[in-house]
Amino acid sequence: MSPTTLFVQQLINGLSLGGMYALLALGFTLIYGILELINFAHFSVFLVGSFIGMWTLEAFGLSGQNVIMTGLPLIGVLLAAFVVSMFSCGVLGVVIERYSLRPLRNVTGPMAMITTIGVSYILFNIILLGAGADTKNFPNPLPELRFHILGAVLDVRVLLIWVVSGSLMLGLWFFVQRSRLGKAMRATAQDPDAARMMGVDVDRVILIAFFAGSALAGAAGLIFGLYYNFTSYIIGYTAGLRAFTAAVLGGIGNVPGAMLGGLIIGLIESLGGQYVAVKWTDVIIFSILVLVLVFRPTGLLGTLAPQKS
Amino acid sequence: MASETTSTVTTPASRAAIRSGTLRRYGAQAGMVAVLLVALLFPIVNGNAGDIDAVANALAFAALALGLNIVVGFAGLLDLGYAAFFAIGAYTYGILSSWQLQPAWSSFWQPFAWLDLVQKVTQGDTSVVHFTLSFWIALPLSAAVAAFFGVLFGAPTLRLRGDYLAIVTLGFGEIVPIVVRNWASLTNGAAGLNGVAPPNLFGYNFGVEITPYYYVAVAIVGLLIFVSSRLRDSRIGRAWMALRDDSIAASTAGVDLTRYKLLAFALGASFAGMTGTFYIAKLQTATPDMFMFPVSVMILVMIVLGGLGSVWGVVVGAIFLQLLQSWFLPAMSGWLHSVGNLVGSPWLQQIQLAQSIELIFGIILVVMMLYRRDGLIPATRKQKALSFEQQNAQVGESHGFRMSGIVREEGSAVPALEIKGVTVRFGGLVALKSVDLTVPPGGVLAVIGPNGSGKSTLFNVVTGLTTAESGSIRLFGEEIIGLPPHKIARKGIARTFQNLRLFTNLTVMDNVLIGQHSRLHTGPLGAVLRFPRVRAEEAKARERVIEIIANFGNRLLPRADQNVAALSYANRRRVEISRALATNPRILLLDEPTAGMNPAETLELAQQIKDLHKLGLTIIVIEHKLDVVVRLADTVVVLDHGEKIAEGKPDEVRRNEEVLRAYLGRNAQAGSAGIAA
Amino acid sequence: MLTRRAAGKLIAGAAASTTLAGAGFRSALAANKVIKIGITLPLTGADAEGANRIKYGALLAIKQANDSNAVKGYTLVPVILNNATTTAGQYDPAQAATNARKLVADPEVMTAIGPEMSGDGKAMSAIYSEANIATITPASTNPDITNPKYASEYRPAHDHAAVYFRTVATDAYQGPYMANYYSDVLKVKTVYLLDDSGAYGVGLADAFEGQAKAKGMKVLGRDRLNPTEADYTVSLTKIKGLNPDGLYYGGVMGAGAKLVKQAYGILPTAMVKGGGDGLLAPEMLTAVGFPAAEGWYCTIAAPHLTQNPKVQPFVKLYESTYHTQPDDYAVTAYDAGLVITAALASLVNAGKPITRANVREAIQTSKTPTLQGVVSFDQNGDIVNKIISVFQVVKNTDYPLTDIIHQFKYIGTAPTS
Repeated sequence: MSPTTLFVQQLINGLSLGGMYALLALGFTLIYGILELINFAHFSVFLVGSFIGMWTLEAFGLSGQNVIMTGLPLIGVLLAAFVVSMFSCGVLGVVIERYSLRPLRNVTGPMAMITTIGVSYILFNIILLGAGADTKNFPNPLPELRFHILGAVLDVRVLLIWVVSGSLMLGLWFFVQRSRLGKAMRATAQDPDAARMMGVDVDRVILIAFFAGSALAGAAGLIFGLYYNFTSYIIGYTAGLRAFTAAVLGGIGNVPGAMLGGLIIGLIESLGGQYVAVKWTDVIIFSILVLVLVFRPTGLLGTLAPQKS
Repeated sequence: MASETTSTVTTPASRAAIRSGTLRRYGAQAGMVAVLLVALLFPIVNGNAGDIDAVANALAFAALALGLNIVVGFAGLLDLGYAAFFAIGAYTYGILSSWQLQPAWSSFWQPFAWLDLVQKVTQGDTSVVHFTLSFWIALPLSAAVAAFFGVLFGAPTLRLRGDYLAIVTLGFGEIVPIVVRNWASLTNGAAGLNGVAPPNLFGYNFGVEITPYYYVAVAIVGLLIFVSSRLRDSRIGRAWMALRDDSIAASTAGVDLTRYKLLAFALGASFAGMTGTFYIAKLQTATPDMFMFPVSVMILVMIVLGGLGSVWGVVVGAIFLQLLQSWFLPAMSGWLHSVGNLVGSPWLQQIQLAQSIELIFGIILVVMMLYRRDGLIPATRKQKALSFEQQNAQVGESHGFRMSGIVREEGSAVPALEIKGVTVRFGGLVALKSVDLTVPPGGVLAVIGPNGSGKSTLFNVVTGLTTAESGSIRLFGEEIIGLPPHKIARKGIARTFQNLRLFTNLTVMDNVLIGQHSRLHTGPLGAVLRFPRVRAEEAKARERVIEIIANFGNRLLPRADQNVAALSYANRRRVEISRALATNPRILLLDEPTAGMNPAETLELAQQIKDLHKLGLTIIVIEHKLDVVVRLADTVVVLDHGEKIAEGKPDEVRRNEEVLRAYLGRNAQAGSAGIAA
Repeated sequence: MLTRRAAGKLIAGAAASTTLAGAGFRSALAANKVIKIGITLPLTGADAEGANRIKYGALLAIKQANDSNAVKGYTLVPVILNNATTTAGQYDPAQAATNARKLVADPEVMTAIGPEMSGDGKAMSAIYSEANIATITPASTNPDITNPKYASEYRPAHDHAAVYFRTVATDAYQGPYMANYYSDVLKVKTVYLLDDSGAYGVGLADAFEGQAKAKGMKVLGRDRLNPTEADYTVSLTKIKGLNPDGLYYGGVMGAGAKLVKQAYGILPTAMVKGGGDGLLAPEMLTAVGFPAAEGWYCTIAAPHLTQNPKVQPFVKLYESTYHTQPDDYAVTAYDAGLVITAALASLVNAGKPITRANVREAIQTSKTPTLQGVVSFDQNGDIVNKIISVFQVVKNTDYPLTDIIHQFKYIGTAPTS
């Protein structure tokens, strides 16, 4: 493999990694933008989404070893899986917000964040106890399609990730910037009391943000399974930390920032792995996290909401 | 009641408070003796080595919980990577007391060999160094090494807010085990250290016999409980809790935030470092897998369960959770297995309750945060309610404000405060535009203006909370612009806040005592050892506080040991003013001190401010109530949109056209009737 | 307050009921005396899956011993202790040490099976040594624990008598013998190494690397996989770029499953791909499956298992009793149980008293026919028979695609030098 091809291939790898992180970071950053809360539970919702996606696909008769579908049945099945995953995760997010976070909304300090750690533990342990610790084979209905660019291989799944992430991001962006509800969200993010006085039902807005963010996590979970063809109880952990770093890097609370951040982290992971060593990837990424938080906490693209004092 | 200005004031109410405190102390001491007896006798009563080991492990985690309690409970800094310090302490001892490192022998090592820190080992014709660091030396050494890393990891977090701080500490907590794993030449990597030497006491080698380790654990936990309690009840602990509850107010009251945050990180880390050495000496091996994120989370769960900030609470929480997972749940599982055998249910026979323990911990975190944030054994115990009489006592007559220690500075040529050309910008908004202001020593200046005119910003820039783009601020001739708030407080500027910034989890006494912080000198060592000088200093500070709050009659005195959150709004204002006075200020900045008070209280406070003025204190007041302004001020300054638009005697300013326009809008008719008296 | 009282009640209740239940259990078999066998494994957390399979293997052997009354006059009672804690999220050496002490404190415990993790073994060995309790580990492969160089650390008592016995060959054999196989049989000249950051995987890869270099193979590079991470395409792309003849993976299925799956799309089929006994596990067939797993080599420290007539019934019985297929370590655990049973039986038949010292001695000198062949131990406790068998995943359409016996094809033994 020529050095150019190698470089291009790692670039493509980085982009697909980045797409996954961006997708995960999107929902996370949406919730942070509204509540200024680091929601650890988000990444467990992602995990739940991938399992629900797997069970949905299995319910359609797809399981384990590759079953290739094409055309309408494929699209129908995928759509069903997306709808089920996103909706159930959205509901899960709403339940989490309503019962474990809303009571703590006015409490200062790290209490709410600690609660999300607890919720995250509860969720992934339920999966662990229920489904076991082993890696699960995820149904693979997608066709094997590869393109070649400069000698490097581009799998159709990479396109899938980017198409889906991109559309979700655009959709979210328009929603937040153009719709009334989006405006209400931005208002709530900037000053909940003022928003309330302007007639915004802050509680409802927050619930909707949680629904949307968690639905995005569910979508990310399903895409993860479709892309990697496996899932297990542990997927939320490392992917979560990287997605979190991506969100912070791009500008926490900032939707395009999550995409940009995801891209950069993905590229760092692939190019760092290639030209340094994979065993230092985590150290590199955490160092970036620390540096960004210390020297430029608003991230590359700035934050949606000004920092609480 | 109030006697002459400098002597101690005790009232029947405060004497009763002191007495009940003493009784509680004796009860607590008896309890502690009982616990100590149980701890000492436990291995004798229960000879099972497995059980003793389980309790020794639980004690190690109690020590870790005490350390994290300092960082999270006292200082309010959420550290999610605490296990890193545990690892550092463990590997410090592990590497220096095993065969892991074998550098070639040279004469450089000879002095260390004389000190018994290394040994020369000859194999064939080569000699290598064998590290033989004694366990007893390693205990304080690891504490120091871990403290160093505590400062190193804490330094980047100083300016971060709570959740970001947590994430950075999480990052460091992830990095340390990875480095340990990858740096195999130093740590033997993932395989773990071989042959870490057990402790040796006067020739007795601990080996694998568990009982001596158990007693060392008891000693360590006892020591750390002692140190924690002493720190908590000292100037250091107060400073931490102040910075936890309201770091802005703490800094303007004289607490050096950087220093105390780093101190919390360092001391918290040192507890973990020492415990790491103990843990590894008992185990005689160490692997990087022992120090990952779940360990940090578990210690957090322990202190949340026990009670953030509560010394005994976290000990109980840690021991309970450790024993739950290593003793109770396996025992229950075993019991269920036996039942399963009897009943013939394979599910019961296979059940492992310990598997669900992470689930239980998650539930504990959520439930505690929602329903019992203070933990099982809260740090602040419920105070006795005031008696009926105390609550309904007639407000005592004002005797005029009496306070010692104010230096009369009027007549000095140097102005107390001289502000020249100060401009403050927030992004595109100019909050203060080239403002000039002079306050003579002993004078009273009132700053008025419509909302958003920059009054509070002015205070913020004087006290160092906001940076000025340009200009100069001189305090009795000394340039203070650009200094951090605690240094400015030390130099003699004290302030109150428009929206009240009290330390909501502390008592009235503690709130006001924080004001004395910069005037006291006790450091952590003194706080722990409580030298006579330290005790005297504390007592004197408390006397000073009583002296100040006594001026508010029986509003604050009977409530000295009450949590400020229980006080009425007006009383809380008084506490804040007392705190400002406790800093022995030369200039007092009051930001709307009478806000929320009824006319009678307003009048009373205005009179008290006048008394302070009479004593010689220089005062600057932001006020909306113009009758107060007229009563108090020598000079009035009017700000509008960040600019000074008028200055002069109160009556002059009242009639000033520009001022009227600023308050009432362009179409207002000028006239003395314009502004309500 | 509530919690303390409840906790107190809990202890009292557990203690009382355990005694009662224990008495009940024992009274049911009043005729027999009891020999307790400790089973110490990380039964919860990250390693739970494999640990439970090992447990079942051991339990099956004990159950069969009891059912056939192999040790006359005695009932073998397993004492199952969990070496993992939630605090660690996986195996915890401190908990392992506590468990060892617990076993030592119980006078009815004569011997033990376990631990699985070498980190636990390092913490337990000296404690067992003090009490002269022999333990047989089916999976701990770090050579240091039985290395005579560290005898004073890991078996300080009783004249450094071995207490840490193994029914599995250490990394010192598995890795290097496979390196020999790569070099001599597969003619691999350049190799790339991966490990999964765990103690077993790192040790195995280290051992392979050392021997590979000694054999003149060029090690093009080495890297580390994070088992909690999902995506290994970066490493695989890097390896593809270097184009070695072969790839060797030291580690277990946590990272292994993802590695094998993702390698399929990236690495050329011609490249030799292999790993240690961590890869001989059901996940290779269930989570990875065909075509991805096809062609991967793995090893097992035993002669050709599949030809042994006892193996098939064992697998069937194991599967029907525990509803999962055994992996390599389940086999070695079962064999450990067989060794203990035989040792105890020999003592009873010779009329010797059942004491820890006697049991240890009996195990030390035992020669037991097992699924792996005849198992005996050297004076360090290591298994004498160091045959490393090489298997390859080859699709066998005559059998179900998840059949662990038939989808791993026996290729031959690895050369010893």
